[in-house]
Amino acid sequence: MYDLRLTPEQLEFRETVRDFVEREVKPAALNPRRLEPFEKPLLATALDQAAQMGLRTLGLSEEAGGAGADTLTACIVMEELGAGDVDLAAVLAQTSTLAHVLFDRHMKPEQRKRFLAEFVKDDGYHLACTGSDPGAGLGWSYHRPLAESGAMPVAVKQGNDWVIHGTVPFVANATVAKLFAVQAQTGTSGRITLLVPRATPGLTVREPPKAVGEVIRWHHGAGAGLTFKDCRVPGDQVLGEAGLGAALARGVPPLAAVNLGLGRAAFEAAVDYARLRRQGGRNIIEHQAIGTKLADCAIKLELARNMIWKAAWTLDHPGAVADRSVSDLPLHVIARVHTAQAVNEVALLAAECFGAMGVMRDMPLQKYVHDSMVFLHSEDTDGAAKLQIAEAVAGYQRPLAA
Amino acid sequence: MDFSLNEEQRHWQSEARKFSDEELRPRSLERDQIEGGFEPWDWDIIEMGSKLGFRTLAVPKEWGGPGADFVSQALVMAELARGDSAMSKAFSQNWKWSHLIASACTNDQKERFLKPFLADHRYVMGRGITEPNAGSDNRMPPEDDPKAGYRLRAVRDGNDWILNGEKCFIANGSVGSLFFVDARTNPDVNIKQGGTLFMVPKTTPGFRIGKVFNKRGWRFYQNAELIFENARVPHANVVGDVGTGSVKAGKGDTTGGDIFGDLELAANALGVCDDACQMAMGFAKTHQRAGRRLIEHQLVQLRINEMHALTEALRSYVMRVAWQHDRKEHSANAGLVMNWSTDVIQRVTRLNMEIHGAEGCMMSARVDKLVRDAMVWTHLAGDTVQRVKVLRRLDKGLRAVAGANAD
Repeated sequence: MYDLRLTPEQLEFRETVRDFVEREVKPAALNPRRLEPFEKPLLATALDQAAQMGLRTLGLSEEAGGAGADTLTACIVMEELGAGDVDLAAVLAQTSTLAHVLFDRHMKPEQRKRFLAEFVKDDGYHLACTGSDPGAGLGWSYHRPLAESGAMPVAVKQGNDWVIHGTVPFVANATVAKLFAVQAQTGTSGRITLLVPRATPGLTVREPPKAVGEVIRWHHGAGAGLTFKDCRVPGDQVLGEAGLGAALARGVPPLAAVNLGLGRAAFEAAVDYARLRRQGGRNIIEHQAIGTKLADCAIKLELARNMIWKAAWTLDHPGAVADRSVSDLPLHVIARVHTAQAVNEVALLAAECFGAMGVMRDMPLQKYVHDSMVFLHSEDTDGAAKLQIAEAVAGYQRPLAA
Repeated sequence: MDFSLNEEQRHWQSEARKFSDEELRPRSLERDQIEGGFEPWDWDIIEMGSKLGFRTLAVPKEWGGPGADFVSQALVMAELARGDSAMSKAFSQNWKWSHLIASACTNDQKERFLKPFLADHRYVMGRGITEPNAGSDNRMPPEDDPKAGYRLRAVRDGNDWILNGEKCFIANGSVGSLFFVDARTNPDVNIKQGGTLFMVPKTTPGFRIGKVFNKRGWRFYQNAELIFENARVPHANVVGDVGTGSVKAGKGDTTGGDIFGDLELAANALGVCDDACQMAMGFAKTHQRAGRRLIEHQLVQLRINEMHALTEALRSYVMRVAWQHDRKEHSANAGLVMNWSTDVIQRVTRLNMEIHGAEGCMMSARVDKLVRDAMVWTHLAGDTVQRVKVLRRLDKGLRAVAGANAD
């Protein structure tokens, strides 16, 4: 059985969000006054509007007050948002995924009772998680890197409370989150995940990275570092002993879909321009060089979407791996790596169609190119991700680094 | 075969390297990150370099310039670009027009323009050809569309010409003292017959600067709109003859200005690639992943190998073309090396970015700057028209690609 038809609900989601992006997001995101400076503040108004439309709680179950969208539906929606503004989309994708992971899967009933109502009610309530796959971002070697000491905050038990110390260099959504799921080390090898509301004394959200300076912001969304100093969390805010693990894989395809949306926006801009721009005695779409560039863009985007949807669908149907309908490779990682490369190529090709206009800061093309470069280095590096795929392909575990 | 440099060439190379290391590189990122189109510009840098001879490098010795040969020019451009690609271009842009004045202008024009250019450390030049609806069409006008190409109109009025229209993206536009402007003296025929090249000083009545463009790369370098509202230009400022198109006016492919342009972008790219190689190696030797220095990892080793191989191949090609120019052998190589430098600079700056990677969701700003600067090549040096145009030199009988060479 193979069926790519979307449900009426999915089609309606797509139309609604596409319309919202055209009306509300693009005019703000692509305003030359926002495009020209290095610093591009988060589109706060559009973020609130998107939340009111239910996009913040997209992945949260219907019983809990969300839209109950599965991973595939989230991808369809996030592609549309990404076509408007990647930062806005990345924030919503993160909160939506974590809403499902935290409230629907990991919280104990009394925790849900305490945090859910406010989360659903408050359109400005976003979520963040400090956890990461051990070794992510460090895999330059064919050897698995050792966890670096001090890379994770430490939690020490005092009576019924846990006291957290340490720093996390970067947490997606940190500047907008009202609730953090914080992973900490206990003792030598133990781990714990704690729910830490933003107002908890001892938790500081650091100044977010800047777009200028010797080193510059290289991520999408609204991230920043966290510092914990004598941060006391009551024992009833323990989310679990293990990490959030496998559930977080659900967040990967929607972020790849944000990346895809940005590529589509660049492509659509190039198609519109190629129809209008006249050089060499005809509209440039009629020149072989431009025609094949646009065809290459279409090919790359279609293939990326195939892979993202397949990875999303597989996460929604884990039985399909068990019965060998789809492969057991980390499809979400393949989708992310492939999309980042493909969309970067698309953005560059699209910019080339614009000639000098492709590098002008009051035009969107140069921003699409920049955004696509950032995606190449998101989550973990390309090399690290490929080594993870290589392990799965070979059924081999890299040894720990010496 | 002999790859050694003579004493004069080594002198210019080491002077440029010193200036680049001591004055350009330390200011490079700071100027790049200043917001705005005009604001990253800094006259102090131009004055300092001018005093060392870098603004007037290509002016012949008989007119009081350094008269450096093409090999020296290529060496200097690469060294300056290693410090800052956009600053290097702000200097070499003047050489293009020094070449043109020297080879195509009358003695009277040389007296009036070359002398003040030599005398004033802030005198820079540019060329105005591109218009909002005329980019590629200026480079390769379609045979079947005589209206294609620039539209800026020039009408004779006694001893003057009256110019009306506008140019965009013009190099040194916001800071130039003299512009070479392509205008239509006959709007009914193609630009090869109806186009004329004028020298327009910035003080020309009816001439003004419009918008200054704010770009992703080459932020120090200035590109602006030139606006002509009944601008009055004396007939004595026509380069060559009226109605011959700018190439013929500048005596076709034989002018230094035309020959220099292709070499310029390739030599500048070489400097950027040198910088990227140096940065990548420095980073790989001093940073660790998984308990080992980056340089000990295969992924990094393979990238560094590719960066160096491409950079050294580009160096060989650039120097060969410069050497050919000095021997007055003009071939398709100048165009080909310019086109190929686009591919090399993109690839090498990207490999540098991959080696640096994102450190905790932060990126080295200079690594990003090199990638942004490299993007400028895609429309200046490696776009379809620039690549197809070379076919004319590879096969002189090819009518389909015959067009005015207008940059």
